[in-house]
Amino acid sequence: MVVRKYEDELKYIERISDYSWRIKKGFQENMNVEGIFYVNKNLEALMFEELRNSCRSDGIGGFLPGMKQIANVAALPGIVGKSVGLPDIHSGYGFAIGNMAAFDMNNPLSIVSPGGVGFDINCGVRLLRTNLFEKDVRPVQEQLAQSLFDHIPVGVGSKGIIPMNARDLEEALEMGMDWSLREGYVWAEDKEHCEEYGRMLNADPSKVSVRAKKRGLPQLGTLGAGNHYAEIQVVDEIYDKWAASKMGIEETGQVCVMIHSGSRGFGHQVATDALVEMEKAMKRDKIETNDRQLACARINSEEGQNYLKAMAAAGNFAWVNRSSMTFLTRQAFAKQFNTTPDDLDMHVIYDVSHNIAKIENHVVDGKEMKLLVHRKGSTRAFPPHHPSIPVDYQLTGQPVLVGGTMGTCSYILTGTEKGLTETFGSTCHGAGRALSRAKSRRNIDYLDILEQMKTKNIAIRVASPKLVMEEAPESYKNVTDVVDTCHSAGISKKCVKLRPIAVIKG
Amino acid sequence: MTSHLETTQSIMMSTSQSNRQDKTEINQNECTFLIIGGGIAGVSCAETINFLLPGEKIILLTESSLIKSVTNLVQLGKFSQRFDIQEIISKDFEKPNIKIITDELAIIKSKTKEAITKGGLKINYNLMCICTGSRPKLVNFSDNVKSYIIGIRDTDSVKEFQKRIKTSKRFGLIGNGGIASEIIYEIGNIEIEWIIKDQHISSTFIDQGAAKFFESRLNNKNSPNNKMIVKRMRYMEERETSESLKRGAALGPDWHRLIDMKGNLSSSPENIKVHYNAEVKSIGLCTDNNFPVCIELANDEKVFCDFVVSATGVEPFKTFNFENEVIKLSDDGGIFVDDLMKTSIDSIFAAGDVCHAGWEHSKYWHQMRLWTQARQMGMMAGKSMVAKLNNEEIYQDFCFELFSHVTKLYGYQVVLLGRYNGQGLEDDYELLFRITPDKEYIKFVLKNGCLVGALLIGETGLEETCENLILNQIDLTPFGDDILNPNIDIEDYFD
Repeated sequence: MVVRKYEDELKYIERISDYSWRIKKGFQENMNVEGIFYVNKNLEALMFEELRNSCRSDGIGGFLPGMKQIANVAALPGIVGKSVGLPDIHSGYGFAIGNMAAFDMNNPLSIVSPGGVGFDINCGVRLLRTNLFEKDVRPVQEQLAQSLFDHIPVGVGSKGIIPMNARDLEEALEMGMDWSLREGYVWAEDKEHCEEYGRMLNADPSKVSVRAKKRGLPQLGTLGAGNHYAEIQVVDEIYDKWAASKMGIEETGQVCVMIHSGSRGFGHQVATDALVEMEKAMKRDKIETNDRQLACARINSEEGQNYLKAMAAAGNFAWVNRSSMTFLTRQAFAKQFNTTPDDLDMHVIYDVSHNIAKIENHVVDGKEMKLLVHRKGSTRAFPPHHPSIPVDYQLTGQPVLVGGTMGTCSYILTGTEKGLTETFGSTCHGAGRALSRAKSRRNIDYLDILEQMKTKNIAIRVASPKLVMEEAPESYKNVTDVVDTCHSAGISKKCVKLRPIAVIKG
Repeated sequence: MTSHLETTQSIMMSTSQSNRQDKTEINQNECTFLIIGGGIAGVSCAETINFLLPGEKIILLTESSLIKSVTNLVQLGKFSQRFDIQEIISKDFEKPNIKIITDELAIIKSKTKEAITKGGLKINYNLMCICTGSRPKLVNFSDNVKSYIIGIRDTDSVKEFQKRIKTSKRFGLIGNGGIASEIIYEIGNIEIEWIIKDQHISSTFIDQGAAKFFESRLNNKNSPNNKMIVKRMRYMEERETSESLKRGAALGPDWHRLIDMKGNLSSSPENIKVHYNAEVKSIGLCTDNNFPVCIELANDEKVFCDFVVSATGVEPFKTFNFENEVIKLSDDGGIFVDDLMKTSIDSIFAAGDVCHAGWEHSKYWHQMRLWTQARQMGMMAGKSMVAKLNNEEIYQDFCFELFSHVTKLYGYQVVLLGRYNGQGLEDDYELLFRITPDKEYIKFVLKNGCLVGALLIGETGLEETCENLILNQIDLTPFGDDILNPNIDIEDYFD
């Protein structure tokens, strides 16, 4: 990594507009294109503070600042346009979370990188609407939450309650939501409201390791833990009444259910397997990257193709997973309200993927190109009239679901023409990073105790924040800042704000 | 999407008492799968078999009431499966292929595949699974104090315990595991003399540092006690109408959720006295004191109390015998099983607390007699038995790859993963901590730069990330101590 003084680093960063900054070539070595990132005033302070801190520590420490990660991606072979950082950008393995990049499919040197998709392949958000209102749900809120906990297994080591055997899994990996539909877990119209209709056609389960399948099998229909959750939400504010009504959202107070989950351990294993394979391929093909975590392979190499096929299978796994939880959610609601999911109008408003790589056509410098678009912690946001979005949303633009940090609010945005041209039709995915939320410190009481736990070979270390963010606000990088930035920059448009009334998580 | 309200039922619908008089019925006791024991392992085994081979005849022999999961699966045909939750069991619905017999196993004649019960019933089976569980290891005592010592194991013993705390001022608690820790935290308005053999509390699960972390909670239980929502699998007991049961099945998780655990000493301050490094020498009656029972410790200290709760762990429970055959047992008395839950005797499997995991373990798994493992083993045994019947080759389930257990101690969520106490690592590892008093206690166990175990206390949000880091074996060396830097969301970083 290039290490300079903070003042010297700043020479490579240039303001483009009130909401965007350019990262010039030379900021990191071998940059093929420039970088860009979108921030408002609050988020801007965080980005620069992070860079400043990294200069102070002389680049030591395992985590690169977001700007450096964007620039390292800009140095990957075959990248076109810009390496794009969205407002919720923060540290991630290889690519930062909230970094998208597109690679020319017709350039034989172009690469695909698992670090540009993420471990939790096809992690995404699904939103179900209901015709219930807050006043209907409040009195039975606890029973409903318990019922959801009983239906949707959460936490580590949890097993799905939808029974699956190895053959079911193979089929599910190949068919995605078509499997869920065939087995009676979803409604036909659910598929219409998913990216790719809930099925990646290039999925090839034979390119997935046995370990990944064994690891994934018991986890289908489980939510996971950590940053994954299901929430019962109510509509808090409507910004675009017409677009909202196309989604079946008519008034504030209306109850929705958001499911945020992905491919669980299955995706992790697919990604881990690919990283190992690709390190070998990089040596063979002499591919060099600025960061070892950016392991990659040429799209047309065997490793690249195997990864894309396995990734697609993991994508299908994630859709089946979200579909299973949709099914279980509908059952829990129907039971609670003593009616049917149909009568509760529990339709899928939309289902977005925010950890995925897809082949798409885009116009770059006036030329239509076939690209492999990596979106990591970034959501596709196609404008009205785009052929890849469902009929119901042809006039509004694609709904974009942005889950806030659990317990805060969430948003529905819509895609814009400007987003299509500036960010390959991509926008933010969530709240971004947390700062100093745990004030952990070295604690004298504990040092004594921990000292006792030492034996001759066991080293004991205590982690603590070495550098305190000085200028940054202490709170979370806030989802409202993130979506406001996307809205102001014009890369997507605010439609609905939702607030949670019950959270289901591990 | 209709008919979600269909009446649902668990697989254990009807219970028929074995009938000693009616000899003609005996011959009908033939089945493909005989499962001994109605606890979590046995029921999980039966459920799995019934899913994989619907309609195949299963007999579940239990000497106790059945434990059942609250969430049920109902199969209404190949293409429409529905789930429903049923909290009241309907007894008038019977699945024709599953028969429940309440009796106790006496003799297994493995050569002729027959099981004989204490009631004299003969059951012919093709494949058998032993899930008879465990019983508490009670501390040694003389007969005259027997009525003053109780073990916490099943609903009946909990009821007894409840009754006693209402009429007592002080009790002795012996043991340092999960149940003892739960009792300490959940109980109020009574004095407790807690006798533990270790240097720190709750040693079954946690290290000294975490014990220190919990200390402030021990006498200060003012945390909001949310007993309403349960995130784990919920189990309930199907109570038998007849009162003839000798013992109930083991308690599931969250057993104290709906139980009033308050004593009657509302005026006196709650008082817990912990006796560390203490061993019980004897328990006797005393007449020269306000309390009827005296526990004498190895250091000659005497502890007086109204009654004693023994919660010193469990041992495999096996009261039956084999005819002309010896089954391989481990040192702890558990039935030795291989990776597919097969015992040393052909056609006999075992699962849950009664068995000893005799296969070569994965690097991140070890056996502990916990309800989570009872369920996993029960399901594995079910799968394995079906595979044997169909002559199919199967692999061990992935859950045996990584030890994971979630529990609640002192009001905090506690997640145990892999080698969370450095088990089996022979001191060749590193520990990395992040501690925020009264909030979180995080311990990473690292070997060769990779995560091999973790102890997570509090709402850390790191459990899934840790699970994945252990299974992925990503080299964490480049991150150094920063991997637990609170300014970095590693759950996002590896997402």
